[in-house]
Amino acid sequence: MASLGELERAVMERLWAADGPVAATTLREELGDRGVALTTVHTVLTRLEQKGFVVHDDERPRRFTARASREEHAAELMHEVLGSSADRQAVLARFVGGVDADEARLLRELLAAVDNTAG
Amino acid sequence: MLPATAASLAVLAVLLAWPVPALVARARWPQRDPLVALVCWQAIGLAGGLSMIGALLVHGLAPWGDALLPAGWALLSGRPAADAVRGDHWVALTLAGVLASELVGVLLLSWLRTTRTRRRHRAMLELVVQPSAGIPDTRLLEHPAPVAFCIPGARPLLVLSSGIVAELDDDQLAAVVAHERAHLKEHHHLLLLPFVAWQAALPVLPAAERAHAAVRELVEMRADDVALTSLDGPGARRTLARAIVAAADGAGGAGVPDGALAVGGAGVRARVLRLLEPPDPLPPAARWSALVAAGLLLLLPTALLLLLAG
Repeated sequence: MASLGELERAVMERLWAADGPVAATTLREELGDRGVALTTVHTVLTRLEQKGFVVHDDERPRRFTARASREEHAAELMHEVLGSSADRQAVLARFVGGVDADEARLLRELLAAVDNTAG
Repeated sequence: MLPATAASLAVLAVLLAWPVPALVARARWPQRDPLVALVCWQAIGLAGGLSMIGALLVHGLAPWGDALLPAGWALLSGRPAADAVRGDHWVALTLAGVLASELVGVLLLSWLRTTRTRRRHRAMLELVVQPSAGIPDTRLLEHPAPVAFCIPGARPLLVLSSGIVAELDDDQLAAVVAHERAHLKEHHHLLLLPFVAWQAALPVLPAAERAHAAVRELVEMRADDVALTSLDGPGARRTLARAIVAAADGAGGAGVPDGALAVGGAGVRARVLRLLEPPDPLPPAARWSALVAAGLLLLLPTALLLLLAG
């Protein structure tokens, strides 16, 4: 039995790969090898909607679409990490902040100087 | 007894609001032992809040009696004061209330906000990114900027961008991962929280910003130190320094949004210098006296307030 997390990832993969909106029954067929029930697919879709990754249309039966592409999600997160918004505080430990060109040159010179003295 | 207590708390509050943080922020010794310095900063932050609110309370409650708790109760239950209540008593009480609720409120708010943001980031990462096969609990994010960061919490996550993996060699990458793991292991995000609160609650206080910056820098240095203990070889210091320079340098390149630059340029340089030319560690005597001083600093306002409580 696959975990919910794995199923969520599998459903997102299908939605990202699909050309347009996908119905839950289609998703269940595509996930056939995992042997999941239609209710499980609906549970997963509801969770994904609550997390803001999936939207559905008003057709009958409902069809589901990914809200943003994988790359857009990655770019959004990176923007928050790199940007100077208050949310940056949340992601405390960015390894190093960026520096301007002068500072970068100075740092490279520092390293080079040490390498030279060390022979 | 009472005016003397209020006065000594006030003096302590003033010292901790400006000269002490300024001195510690400018001092050279914190670099030699970031952990001891972080303990001192926590003491400064906590004792500062205690003495500032305490001084205002002791002064403001004076007309209702000498003991803080009964006097506070008398005020709240609307009993008349024994002595005449002047305007300055009301001002002190109001300020104490505002400051206390602001500090606690900001602390709670920023804790809530960061928890929510972290949860969102984690959900996103777990969904969008396949777990990295090479390094456990690490996610590889497709992005050209060389970035590494971690998301603290019950299920911490370490994130590396494809940019940083491309930029660094294996040893350097291991150094970066060790640095981020040190943050997570020692819960550095909690050490920062009081200073986030101070800065948000009293943005006019120059020391608040300075203290926050100093603590941020020390946390990074401490993580560098911890990372070095888990990395082998005499070249570990230089490997970590190289990784820092490469990551800081590359972060100025493509794909980085505006406003990300020039964050803590001086801090990056201090870290690199410290790795390349390590300062002597603090002698044990100095270490211990700094720790005892931090303990006393915290004890002083606490004892003064406890003496008056009943």
